[in-house]
Amino acid sequence: MNVRMEWLYAQALRCYPPEFRASYAKAMEQSFRDALRDDEMPRGLLVRIVLRDLVVSLVKEHMTMLRDSLTRPALVFNALVLAGIATGVALALYAIPQHVLRSGLNDPQIQMAGDLAARLEQGAAPDEVVSRGVRVDMARSLAPFVIVYDEQGHPLASQGVLNGSVPAPPSGVFDSVRQRGEERLSWQPVRGRDGVRIAAVVKRVNGAHPVFVLAGRNMREVEARIGDVQTMAGLTWVGMLGLIVVATVVFGIYSRPKSAGRYQTAAEKG
Amino acid sequence: MAVETRSGIPLSPAVLAILLSLAEGEKHGYAMMKDARSPRGGGIAMGPGTLYGSVDRMMRDGLVEESDKQDDERRRYYRLTRRGREVLAVELKRLDATVAAARSLGLLPHGGRS
Repeated sequence: MNVRMEWLYAQALRCYPPEFRASYAKAMEQSFRDALRDDEMPRGLLVRIVLRDLVVSLVKEHMTMLRDSLTRPALVFNALVLAGIATGVALALYAIPQHVLRSGLNDPQIQMAGDLAARLEQGAAPDEVVSRGVRVDMARSLAPFVIVYDEQGHPLASQGVLNGSVPAPPSGVFDSVRQRGEERLSWQPVRGRDGVRIAAVVKRVNGAHPVFVLAGRNMREVEARIGDVQTMAGLTWVGMLGLIVVATVVFGIYSRPKSAGRYQTAAEKG
Repeated sequence: MAVETRSGIPLSPAVLAILLSLAEGEKHGYAMMKDARSPRGGGIAMGPGTLYGSVDRMMRDGLVEESDKQDDERRRYYRLTRRGREVLAVELKRLDATVAAARSLGLLPHGGRS
């Protein structure tokens, strides 16, 4: 009976970290053997103590081994560098497509605002150049639209409407366009979390009656694509960090210095 | 105080039991386990894994060391270091103060062991 229990305990000791096992397995087996031969130690109590001890100390020794393996400065530094690179790559994966998608959204408006400004500069009236029959619901439609504003920013003619009226950008936008000639902006006519966002190009038309031309279109579809890109970049980032953690743990365990001295016996140290 | 800040005081029950056991002299693993299980060792039911894991950490902290004594090549004997004895004294003083405080609150009878 004792021999069988000793054999079982010896097999259980195989679950300890290799270095701990190499240093203490024989001594632990001997302590167990001593306990088995101790008449004052009830067999049932010994089994309970040893089973609980195996569970608790196995977890503890493996955690200690992991901590010792993974807190080496070089390993932590490498992991942090890799995490930094992964973060940079993920940011680029998001920022580059986001920039391309957002700037591409302005393409038709640039052309439309330019054409409209040219016709107005040639003396055409706003009502003539803005098709009266065209009405674009800025909240629902993805179609581009144009609006002409006077010097004070009041709408003169418009294809776009939002909730039954023609919205105007903040006065600061017109001030900026006066100085620079053109502005490209993301415009949110109605403030709020779910407000409509418009990719707008605003141009200044000089002449006897200076006006502003705005060409815009709803950003909804492109923003959804940008959201997809953000999700993919985020998942890529989390995946790369996960790989780095796994690789660091595996490398840390297998590259542990074997002669750390932690589990050396007195004879080995001597 | 320097001893307290470096030695993880208050000590865990297992570490205290091992230090108390080794305060009597050099001991091997099962002797320490048996002492720990006895009332004077705190009644700590400790298995070999907990014992040698604790001993390993105590050796790294310089509280105990392996002795050269050998009556069986499979048995390993340990003894207290000077630092281990200092840490034990600090911990016992702390526990003594706690017991005194408990007595002053009427939680323990005065003038003897409960």
